[in-house]
Amino acid sequence: MELGKFLTAPEYGFVIVTYRDIFQSAALEKSRFGEEYRKLSAVIKMDSGDIKKLGVVEGDTVVVKNACGKVVVRVEESGYDVPHQGVAYMPNSPWSNSLVSADTGGTGVPKYKMIKVMVSNARGEAITGMM
Amino acid sequence: MVNCLNKNYYVCTGCALLCDDIEVEVSGDHITKIKTVCRKGFSRIGGCIEPMPCTSDGKSVDITTAIKDAASILMNADNPLIFGLGNSTSGAQKQAIELAKRIGAVIDDSSSFCQGPIIEAILHEKIHTCTLDDVRNRADVIVYWGADPSNSHPRHLSMHSYFPRGEERQHGWEDDRTAIAIDVRRSHTAKICGNRFYQIPLHTDAFLIEALIDALSGKVPKVPFEYDIKKILELANVLKKAQFGVIFAGLGVVYSIGDMGTMTRLMDKLNEVSNFHLIPMMGHYNMRGFNQNLFEATGYFNRVKFEKRENGFDVKHGVDYSIMEVLNTKKTDAALIIGSDPMSCLPRSTAEYLSEIPLVSIGPCENFTSRVAKVTIPSALSGVECGGSAVRMDGVKVTFEPMIKTARLSDEEILKRIMEAI
Repeated sequence: MELGKFLTAPEYGFVIVTYRDIFQSAALEKSRFGEEYRKLSAVIKMDSGDIKKLGVVEGDTVVVKNACGKVVVRVEESGYDVPHQGVAYMPNSPWSNSLVSADTGGTGVPKYKMIKVMVSNARGEAITGMM
Repeated sequence: MVNCLNKNYYVCTGCALLCDDIEVEVSGDHITKIKTVCRKGFSRIGGCIEPMPCTSDGKSVDITTAIKDAASILMNADNPLIFGLGNSTSGAQKQAIELAKRIGAVIDDSSSFCQGPIIEAILHEKIHTCTLDDVRNRADVIVYWGADPSNSHPRHLSMHSYFPRGEERQHGWEDDRTAIAIDVRRSHTAKICGNRFYQIPLHTDAFLIEALIDALSGKVPKVPFEYDIKKILELANVLKKAQFGVIFAGLGVVYSIGDMGTMTRLMDKLNEVSNFHLIPMMGHYNMRGFNQNLFEATGYFNRVKFEKRENGFDVKHGVDYSIMEVLNTKKTDAALIIGSDPMSCLPRSTAEYLSEIPLVSIGPCENFTSRVAKVTIPSALSGVECGGSAVRMDGVKVTFEPMIKTARLSDEEILKRIMEAI
């Protein structure tokens, strides 16, 4: 019996910054409900050191959550030349927006590029479906 | 549509660049070939695989019934909301503003949570701006700040800002132009800028702005994070020597600095020592059109409420009438969404309220919002199935003709018919 699967996966704090991706934008124009859009949206790009720390490899899923919501998305290595431990990137999509706070601090502008979350190994859990 | 060398050129409505050199081949009512467009535009013009159905209460209905039911929802609401319109023609936007007056609605668009502060500064002439044609012909120093047009506006660099050999830039990007990226990550655009990429920590843009103002004023710049001061001095020097400089401001810098006060001061300083302009990287093809049309009608560019009075209406404006606040406070009791998908682009916990109220969704394609709407009305895809006009990201008006015919009504015609039914 694998004892590890009964233990809670450790959680680590991250700040998510959202970005635009032309391939994801093109997929959105074609179908918001299609597999291609889901595949290109439900992604988190992380520093290689953070991926190792979480005990996952590229292509595995992780749980990303905070008080606003929880999504399971696929991990990708960012490939950026400057290390960025603790900062992760997600394409702007319903998956990232599930984690954005409704509280705008009186500005009317959500913090789309400053989303504080906890991330853990999803241990094979499937990517979250949207509608 | 432009006719040149016996070829017809169309306008792409995939983003606010409104590229006007698109060629298509048509067979009957179908587009069989699309030339010149970027990946995003190709996908837009090619159309979606889930067109918007015409429904009311989940049942298929004819367009007249859907319009009647939409009108009924809006008439019976005490605090209706009209949102979207960034993907609609200026004609449709003006019609929506008239509808908002008639029903006493809040009217807002996505500039409310993205490029609003820059547009406000430009419309109030607080920031020096220019056109993309000026950039193509004259710009020698181009700054992509918190912007990644290689992904968001794919032909920006090739058509306007970096690669063209403009009138005064005949030696092109190799000798005549310097491209600079300021960002928190090495984006695809930053890669093109090579060693002119200035990577800064998250939410430190305002500190860099202050440091640049100091450097341009002959003071020693300081920033509260680890950074090579020589790089800031070097950047300030390049900006100072510009003959025609332009900053393309993306959401990265807009969200980071909050209000435009610091950016306005940098622009003022730059124009004391150099010649600089700023253009907002507007996303939807006619977001700027909405802002300008509402500004002309009310003096405000977004977040407006028309409050009905016995003889007319009062115009109210402010954060209380932003889509975020009217949904968070659950003040609205019915909504009309046009060419937009707030269930997808707003924080989920805010947008979910839309599924609790009577909702009308108008657009060419099904989306997350239309799937919770009480009434859905299919409309023609503007630029492809209907013509009109729009305002490019730099404020230039662009008119366009449809590429193909359709039986679907335009947003403008639908809104007109809703008005008639009220």
